[in-house]
Amino acid sequence: MESKNVLVVGSGISGVASALELANAGVSVYLIEKEAVVGGHSASFCCKATDICSKCSACVVFDKIKEAVIHPQITLLTNSTIKKLSGELGNFRVEIIHRPQYVDEEKCIACGLCTDVCPTDPKAIYSPFAEATPFSYILDEGLCLRFKGEKCDLCLESCPTKAIEFELKAKEQELSVGAIIVATGFDVFDAREKGSLGYGRYTNVLTGLDLEQIFTREGYLRLPTNGKEPQNIAFIQCIGSRDEGHGYCSQVCCKYAMKLAGLIKYQNPDTQVTIFYIDLQTTGKGFAQFYEKYKESIRFVRGVPVEILQSSSGELEVRFEDISQGKVCRDNFDLVVLSVGISPRKNSWDLARILGINLADDGFFDKKDSLSCNETNVDGIFLAGTCQGPKDIPDSIAHGIAAASKAMQMLAESASRRRGN
Amino acid sequence: MEPKIGVFLCNCGGAINNIDFDAAVKKVAKFPGVTCVNLSSDLCLEKGREKMISCIRGENIERVVVAACSPEFQEHIFREVLEKAGLNGHLLSMANIREQCSWTHDGDVTEKAVELVKMAVNRVRLLQPMEKKELPVNREVLVVGGGFSASNTALQLSRVGLRTTLLEKEAVLGAGTEELESFYGFDTGSMISAVEVDKNIEVLTSAQMTEVGGKIGDFSVRIRQEGGEILRKYGAIVLATGHQTELALDSEPQLRAEGEAISGLNIVSQEQFCCMLGNSGLETEPKTIGFMFDFSDENSRFPTLTTLNNALAAKKKWGSEIYVFCKNVKVDSEGMEKLYREARDCGVVFLKSEAPPRITAENGRVKIEAKDVFLGEDVILACDVLVAEELYLPAEGAENLSSLLSIRRDSKGFFQDENVHLYPVGSEKKGIFFIGGCRGDLDLGRVLTDISSVVMKVHELLSSGKILVELEKVKADPQKCVACLTCIRVCPHGAIQLVRVDGSKEVAEISDLACDACGICAAICPAKAIKFQGYRDEEILAQIEAIQEL
Repeated sequence: MESKNVLVVGSGISGVASALELANAGVSVYLIEKEAVVGGHSASFCCKATDICSKCSACVVFDKIKEAVIHPQITLLTNSTIKKLSGELGNFRVEIIHRPQYVDEEKCIACGLCTDVCPTDPKAIYSPFAEATPFSYILDEGLCLRFKGEKCDLCLESCPTKAIEFELKAKEQELSVGAIIVATGFDVFDAREKGSLGYGRYTNVLTGLDLEQIFTREGYLRLPTNGKEPQNIAFIQCIGSRDEGHGYCSQVCCKYAMKLAGLIKYQNPDTQVTIFYIDLQTTGKGFAQFYEKYKESIRFVRGVPVEILQSSSGELEVRFEDISQGKVCRDNFDLVVLSVGISPRKNSWDLARILGINLADDGFFDKKDSLSCNETNVDGIFLAGTCQGPKDIPDSIAHGIAAASKAMQMLAESASRRRGN
Repeated sequence: MEPKIGVFLCNCGGAINNIDFDAAVKKVAKFPGVTCVNLSSDLCLEKGREKMISCIRGENIERVVVAACSPEFQEHIFREVLEKAGLNGHLLSMANIREQCSWTHDGDVTEKAVELVKMAVNRVRLLQPMEKKELPVNREVLVVGGGFSASNTALQLSRVGLRTTLLEKEAVLGAGTEELESFYGFDTGSMISAVEVDKNIEVLTSAQMTEVGGKIGDFSVRIRQEGGEILRKYGAIVLATGHQTELALDSEPQLRAEGEAISGLNIVSQEQFCCMLGNSGLETEPKTIGFMFDFSDENSRFPTLTTLNNALAAKKKWGSEIYVFCKNVKVDSEGMEKLYREARDCGVVFLKSEAPPRITAENGRVKIEAKDVFLGEDVILACDVLVAEELYLPAEGAENLSSLLSIRRDSKGFFQDENVHLYPVGSEKKGIFFIGGCRGDLDLGRVLTDISSVVMKVHELLSSGKILVELEKVKADPQKCVACLTCIRVCPHGAIQLVRVDGSKEVAEISDLACDACGICAAICPAKAIKFQGYRDEEILAQIEAIQEL
């Protein structure tokens, strides 16, 4: 029997955008997410507004996530992954595995009493982040004493709604859907792979994502080592983009680096900001004015540094080639931010094999041809967002909506063909 | 008569532990109009919700105050509870005694909690119910343009069962697809014939829009064609009017050498160069070719793409020496880095300079002088052909269309205001959408995405032939309105118009379909005639009074 339901795999911003559009068109949507919370990477980005909006789109994400979570047409399955797929367009059967969620989302009221009593450090039961949706608390098996064989009932006893259950086992479920939208997103490039830049060894070398999270949490920037305000900051572009392993531009880093630099400059105009780059990508709607505003006050240096050394006083010495003078230079900074790029998911191959879809040579899922934007080699399976290639938030939303559109069109056509028969 | 108000307090399972709830209940019960006060520890859970419903029904409560967590979390759930209990969901006011009270302060906060509840009680007394209603919309769509984006939009809309009119100002469809044909093997002919045989698509060529009125679901559009004007009705309007290019040499005088005539030299546009490439009867093949981009406009993606495509094609066809002068290569689109590498591997030389090159004539050839940042030296190059920088602009007529439809354009003149909430394809006016080149310099992948996005958005609005809206969320009082037109001028959504009431007087009327409930008109109305439900002056003042009384 033909199913009109659609499965969306991944609840980052493009998956959420796909799910919402389909749901608003009256389609029943299963939205599955491997983590306990919805939103993916985009939910951890900070607002980069100064006295005016810097058009980073981070705020758009929360509205969409909230809308999706409460939408009656969307069934949200967190902690879930795909095990097996069979069938074809109009009639797919998907086997799903749910990992146990020890805190019942229906019962949790996010009161925080369990975290207060949890004896581990860091806490094993906690709220994932301030604006997490669903807002229920999550339990980390790796930290919880009970999973280490110890007896501990503190959270269980503290919970006023009896939302915590330890006796749960993984469950399996079969869904029947007409089409599938893959929106599994990206992995942030692991800056430790570039060992000479010292990420993970030097406390004051951060990634762009670290900086986003600092601004989300604290609202301002302080040096991780001594809590003082940084005076001299370097951003290094193209970390994990446009190099031997990554034959593509990540499309987001120039913009986020400049917007974060703008925010730092706004909070303290005396802070020196230097951006090391290969080619500045000052494109995109709304970016021209932003670039005009900051291009005089930010120092731009063409060339990407290859080495950072930390002096005994904690200063970071950045070694780079000054291309215009043709010689190696050294500059000191108190904070270095690595603008890490978008990498394909490390486990893309597993999902590609389960679904039977192709991977492109850069590791992202492959489109059918250059004149399609969401279609894959399998009819009825569509791509949305950064799992198909790097995209910023507006492009991811657009791509998610487009995937929903293609799924809806294909289901409408296949239904009318059947009616015609 | 005073409405009966029910107050529901919740201690959040004990998580709110610095409020003396027994004392609070006693105080709240004395507030005027409050007929029942309930204390719960799990109001948002099923058990709590059921108790709430039976209490509302049993006590004949007409308005509800919930004093619990942030409305961010659960307001929608409590609205549902009200609806289930037979009340209008808007007759609810929430007092956030958790995040904004208990959790922000140390020590006893009973007093503040009671104040917050009092404010909510004062507000809820004045709230008015809002009804929802399905309003009919026209299911026809007008797509302006006749190129790749417009035609494909019409074809995809047809797949989901919506009828469209393609309005093309030229005599034939398929303008501007040359580049797609040469670089992606696109077949314009089969697209046009698919459009022509599609029963859901009506094609009007040599036709232009001359007047637009109405709003989403009911636009009336006057169209001028050869042989007269017609008036048509549409539910939505999609603009896909594309882009045009202009040689930067024309608009940027610093690119010209002073006093030296460069006319007559082989300085061409990308499009002219593309024609040269396609011309098999060329007398002499150019041996040295220069390209330049990213000096006059540093915010465009497109010049990099066309340069790379044309440079590679020239290299393959003529084996010419190719030099590309630019400031930054814009590779932030799909496949661009690969294309850039391919060009370099083929021997295309990229020379990056911070300042625009100086262009002069030398023995009939084009002399380009620039300071290359890698060499740190001046490079002087004489080439047979210079493909000059192009500016990427919205197509001719964009200004006219924007004033016809009263929609804003961005800082570069493209459609769509620079507002993140409108991306990808939305405009500030509901029912008007943009696709592709008319809203920015988009590569093929982004144009394809736009097309499908618009189809989804239009389908959502029009497919059922009706839209469910909340009635009179924002309303102008005809008694107070003096028709000063202030609201009509400030409304970004084009939702307000003047209508004649009682025979003679003209007053502002706000369309429930087109209104986005932004509240600008309510704030600005000098006669205080416009009310925004839930945020009316009296509702806000009543809350302020509540704190003053205590």
